[in-house]
Amino acid sequence: MNNIAAILRIGPDHRTGARHLSFLVLIAIIALVAFSSNLFLSPANLANLSSQIAPLLIAAVGQTLVILTGGLDISIGAVIGLVTGLIVLDAPQWQVVLLAIGASATIGLINGIGIAFLRVHPIIMTLSSMSFVQGLALLVRPVPGGTVPNWITASITGDIHGIPYSFLWIVGFSAIGGWLLYRTRLGLHFFALGGNASHAGLNGVRTRESTVAAYVLSSLFAAAAGFFLAGRIASGDANVGASYGLDTITAVALGGTQLSGGIGSLSGTIIGTVIVGVIGNGMNLTDVSAFLQTVIKGALLLAVVCVQRRKEIGL
Amino acid sequence: MTVASDRIEPSLTARVWPAEFVRRLITLPPSYFLLAGVVAVTAATSPHLLRMNALLIFLRQAAPLGVAVIGQLLVMRARSIDLSIGGVFIMTNYLITSGMLSGYPTAMLIAVPILMGLVVGVANGVLVAWVRASAVIVTLGMTTILTGVVLYLSSGRPPGGVPMSLKALSAERILTIPLPVLVWTALAVLAALGLRFLVFGRFLAAVGDNPRAAVITGLPLARIVVAAHVLAGVLAAAGGVLHTAALGVGSVKFGPEIIMNSIAATILGGGTFGSGRGGVAGPFVAVVALAFMFAVLTVYGIQDPGKLMIQGLVIAVAAVIYGTRER
Repeated sequence: MNNIAAILRIGPDHRTGARHLSFLVLIAIIALVAFSSNLFLSPANLANLSSQIAPLLIAAVGQTLVILTGGLDISIGAVIGLVTGLIVLDAPQWQVVLLAIGASATIGLINGIGIAFLRVHPIIMTLSSMSFVQGLALLVRPVPGGTVPNWITASITGDIHGIPYSFLWIVGFSAIGGWLLYRTRLGLHFFALGGNASHAGLNGVRTRESTVAAYVLSSLFAAAAGFFLAGRIASGDANVGASYGLDTITAVALGGTQLSGGIGSLSGTIIGTVIVGVIGNGMNLTDVSAFLQTVIKGALLLAVVCVQRRKEIGL
Repeated sequence: MTVASDRIEPSLTARVWPAEFVRRLITLPPSYFLLAGVVAVTAATSPHLLRMNALLIFLRQAAPLGVAVIGQLLVMRARSIDLSIGGVFIMTNYLITSGMLSGYPTAMLIAVPILMGLVVGVANGVLVAWVRASAVIVTLGMTTILTGVVLYLSSGRPPGGVPMSLKALSAERILTIPLPVLVWTALAVLAALGLRFLVFGRFLAAVGDNPRAAVITGLPLARIVVAAHVLAGVLAAAGGVLHTAALGVGSVKFGPEIIMNSIAATILGGGTFGSGRGGVAGPFVAVVALAFMFAVLTVYGIQDPGKLMIQGLVIAVAAVIYGTRER
């Protein structure tokens, strides 16, 4: 039994978390869905699946960075809503794009400063900024509508040699996330921070600056998810991101990353996101009620979390 | 900052009473200042809102949240968090309004939801304390499941109405004070007394101060955390009963704001993540202050977006000033 656990790398001792177990879960779910609906593997459905997964994955990559540092970003959904609202503003296109990116970076900066320098708990800081940003988004765009610039819509809905653009978005942002986490000093610092912030500081990691960077990056990834969603629904909607705060946490946790920080992997997050996407897609194909899907996602989240027993009781 | 001032030797400052007074004042939870501010603004601009009758109505609207916040405070004192309050509120609403309990006495309308809250609390507690899963994920997952079950059972449509007997009970007044306010106050006083005089209260304080030290001293850490979650589940269900009775109809469109407000009130009231500080009075005042603030904002015609922004600002400012975790 211990050998199996070691092979699957369950348990808190491995820096990558329990992603191998998540991968087995994913294979099982894909097999189940493919057997119960022969539409699942059709190219049209796979393109559809890719476009459903893309925004969640982009936002979840940002959430992964923050969670690895031992934090949490609940404001992601509100940032997505605000970005879709800003994109459809009646102004020159380069201005709205800059405004959307600038606003997201500012929100991330404020989150980071509050958490790293003013020592506010991440849940409280991002909860309050979520409230503020959601209010701002509703102010900018009280009801869904507006027109999204054509080039944004075009960069999302098309395909090249049968490969949908949404898949390229997935690959692109996964690559950016992977580069940040595994090829830069900052990425290593994120792991160090989550492992033990004071030890990281003693070893020369600029802990506060790195924490701020994690939240700014998280907001920027959320902004990218916002661009994608705006293009997909072809309008601005302040509430479109409402479920993303929870869904990104679900995806990250399903991928074996621990919320206490320092343990986890980007590949785990990708696996987790695909699990969420395939379950939703598969249940749509087999006509399972959308409400029952919520129940199953919640139960799955609890089940996966239960497998990863941690050292200490806590948040 | 305030944490640092706590460490000043009392004997050094006690001699100079103005300094001592100021020190005491700045260590008060932010909720007192928020309440004072809101009352001052109201008194200056629309004093008619400060009449006894209007105040009692504010308090009655605040009671459901107030009861749930007591539970939130208990779990936070045990260094955990309960985000399942929203799910428990929705499930309570469904149990009462779906008609599955029609024909049973009013006591059953209250007992069944509270039993449900108990079960949810036990599940939360076991998963958090014994399985050692993340409290955020467990309780958030619980809200997802409960909300999903209600939406599935009701097909996303609001269920029926609240039985007359329960509505009448909620509208009851004793010596002009609405019954829900009395229930809330009684539970808050009980919780305050329990935290101060019961062994469990001392255990919670010890766990909140330093869980490792508590374990080494021989305290049953896991059982204390489970107990806090069970109490929180029961209190959330009790709050849900008050909420549904006041609402009068079935609804599937609330939940997130209850979670949000319960955390906001606990933080404003001086409860903190990861340090186990905070009494019952601070969050009590915070719930009153928040209810008052939203009522006043409504009177001034400020819509939901404005309210959300102000709420976010208030929590952030309070958290920054008060310092929400130990250094």
